[in-house]
Amino acid sequence: MRSPRRRGCGRTITIPILRSGILARKFCRAGACAEVVAVFERSLYLRCADMFLCIGTPSIGNGPITMIGDFASASELSEFGLRPGLSVSIADRCLTIAGSAQFSFDQYEVWRPSRWCVPRSHRELRSVCDAIVRLAAVEGPEEGLAQIYRLRERGTDPTPLARIARAHIARFESWLSDALETHHTEPTTSRDAIEGLIGLGPGLTPSGDDFLVGALALLDALAQRKAHAALAHAIATAPRGLTSPLSDYLLRAAASGHVGEPLCRAVSAVISGMADAAVASLREIGHSSGWDMLVGVGSALKVVAAARRAALPVDEARCTARRGGAE
Amino acid sequence: MSAIRNAVRRSTYLDSIVLMRISRQVAALPGVEEAGLVIGTPANKEILREARILGREGDKAEPGDLILALRAKDGVAAEAALAEAKRLLDQPAVSGTSSSQYACRSIRGAIQHMPDANLALISVPGHFAAAEARKALALALHVMIFSDNVPIDDEVALKREARALRRFVMGPDCGTAIIGGMPLGFANVVPLGAIGIIGASGTGIQEVSCLIARAGGGISHAIGTGGRDLTAEVGATTTLMAIDALDADATTKHVVLISKPPAASVTKLVLERVARSPKSFTICFLGAADLAMPANARCALTLKAAAELAMGAAITSEPAQPPVLGSLPGRLVRGLFAGGTLCAEAQIVFTQAGLPVASNVPAPGASPVTDARGCHLMIDLGADEFTRGRPHPMIEPAVRDRSLAEALADADVGVILLDIVLGYGAHADPAGHLASVLVGRDRRPLILACVTGTDRDPQSRTAQVRKLTEAGVMVAQSNADAATLALKAIGS
Repeated sequence: MRSPRRRGCGRTITIPILRSGILARKFCRAGACAEVVAVFERSLYLRCADMFLCIGTPSIGNGPITMIGDFASASELSEFGLRPGLSVSIADRCLTIAGSAQFSFDQYEVWRPSRWCVPRSHRELRSVCDAIVRLAAVEGPEEGLAQIYRLRERGTDPTPLARIARAHIARFESWLSDALETHHTEPTTSRDAIEGLIGLGPGLTPSGDDFLVGALALLDALAQRKAHAALAHAIATAPRGLTSPLSDYLLRAAASGHVGEPLCRAVSAVISGMADAAVASLREIGHSSGWDMLVGVGSALKVVAAARRAALPVDEARCTARRGGAE
Repeated sequence: MSAIRNAVRRSTYLDSIVLMRISRQVAALPGVEEAGLVIGTPANKEILREARILGREGDKAEPGDLILALRAKDGVAAEAALAEAKRLLDQPAVSGTSSSQYACRSIRGAIQHMPDANLALISVPGHFAAAEARKALALALHVMIFSDNVPIDDEVALKREARALRRFVMGPDCGTAIIGGMPLGFANVVPLGAIGIIGASGTGIQEVSCLIARAGGGISHAIGTGGRDLTAEVGATTTLMAIDALDADATTKHVVLISKPPAASVTKLVLERVARSPKSFTICFLGAADLAMPANARCALTLKAAAELAMGAAITSEPAQPPVLGSLPGRLVRGLFAGGTLCAEAQIVFTQAGLPVASNVPAPGASPVTDARGCHLMIDLGADEFTRGRPHPMIEPAVRDRSLAEALADADVGVILLDIVLGYGAHADPAGHLASVLVGRDRRPLILACVTGTDRDPQSRTAQVRKLTEAGVMVAQSNADAATLALKAIGS
């Protein structure tokens, strides 16, 4: 593993980038300047117009907008004195933040998600759905969408989020069921089905956005192409301003086929019949984001598994038809 | 009359866990009826509107903004809560960026800044910990590795390298140490004294050192070894070095050794080394049975017994009996522990009494939770399955809330056992949090707690005990006493 190296008078540390997602690479190719918008313990976010880039330690996992750096001897990002508002310049395959930290991307691998595996039968997928609901009810956080299952079990009064989210999720499931049965969707109806979810809930990426990202990944994994395309189109054409710029970017990325490695692992686990493994992949994402994605996966899976006309891919040729998304 | 206050932070991105923590802290402030901390999307404004906490300022927020919204019982409480909420929101923004504090970027840099330092405390993701430890050893430093998830091969190699350099590696997963009176990690403020502790367990060291302190004794050094030091693979490398060090330390007159039961070969190795020591020992291998002790050592079944043997006197058990409550709602005991060793100790007390007990981290004689039917249940909430991606319950007591609510609602549960662990690193007011959760509850089931700490801890044990007592919680002198009282309460 290559290590950070000092340059110049000893103040600037250069961190080699080890891996980059496709959209992260696009960010660096497109932008000559950017701004630091958030600094967390293991990652920082840069913004250039409507695009975002996440740079993080290997522990955050690969993703489409993520660059993984080799922080071997400087593992805390706070050590660099980084803070929101700092300017960023991108030139000569090097990203420089306010003259103090540099990230070199002259030698890196492009990360792409691995291929989806062959899903289990409708019957088995229905039992995975039940397991997801049970796990979310027992282990999910108080915040976010997992509470819907827990509140239902305990008969507790729903919070405003639970009450609103439940209605929107029901509308989404009804729309998806129609889309799968008829193989036809009206754009207006599709937008109605998702707009209430976009920007809904707590967190850096609102729960409703995470829900839709999870549902998109599941439909992609089960090769439900028409439903996936209809959902992706509805998201891509939804008005701007329904959610935060960062979440909007991630949601549109997911609509064009780009989701992160933990979600890919989780969805692969779900369609292989392993609900526990799916939870293990997602529970470390944010506070409730991973669980919200799982609720989206479970919601879409429930509808697909119940739909009579939703044929599942049965061989590798069918289920590997589309991965990687448009660059 | 209720008052609504909103504040908006423009284009602010905070980590989801930070948002959740601040949101809960604001909701728990005095007089606050409802609070929310969300980004200003139209959908979220609808939620805030429905919760009746959206004001004019919040309504103007953009999707990239952060809305802090709250409703309090009156204007004074609302203003106070808003001011505190703003302070909390500002905290993460300034952490790690203060130019007035020296922030070192490397161990070498830290040594240049502090040339007399002889120990490095390493708390980085486990993947990086071994590399950092090697850098510290190369700079002739002793090492305490707070990080967990360090591969055992790395631990074995690191400890061998350190031994060759005559340096300590405490850990990995070493949460507690006290070196020459200096608390490291999660440790309590205890007086200096003649008793040395060697412990593979953080809360075990904390409980024993606090019981000794409260009984009038003091600690020379408490050396953490990490939870795997007494496994066959590691071979007690740090434990044996710690015995050497305490043998050579003139201040230390007696040594307490605390661990889960070691591997058989390691038990033999350690006890043979103890037999050669000129000092007296108390050995507390929680759950180990029928150990043949050397002449200079005595065996303690519980942490409290270890403290008593080290002090040479009994430590008072108050109260001696649980209150008379009439019939308990159920006959089962549910233990919800932040400390893993405290959870193990409670299990030992129950198995010694011949009662069936189950746990997610079963001690010898206990069953796994999959066989919990009809058993008393002791849950270690600090175990990996509860703390992945979440703070440890010693840092964030709200982690226990859901399990506590379930136990309170469970008709089969007659007694709930809890631990409150104080000291550096722990939550500022764990008893206050628990008391707030218990407000307005029915007095049953009986809640028994121990408070591991001293009055010199930042939280003050006396103040914490008072809050618990006022909330209807019965506080025992030690964790073992709390478990024993639970047995009495259910008539065993």
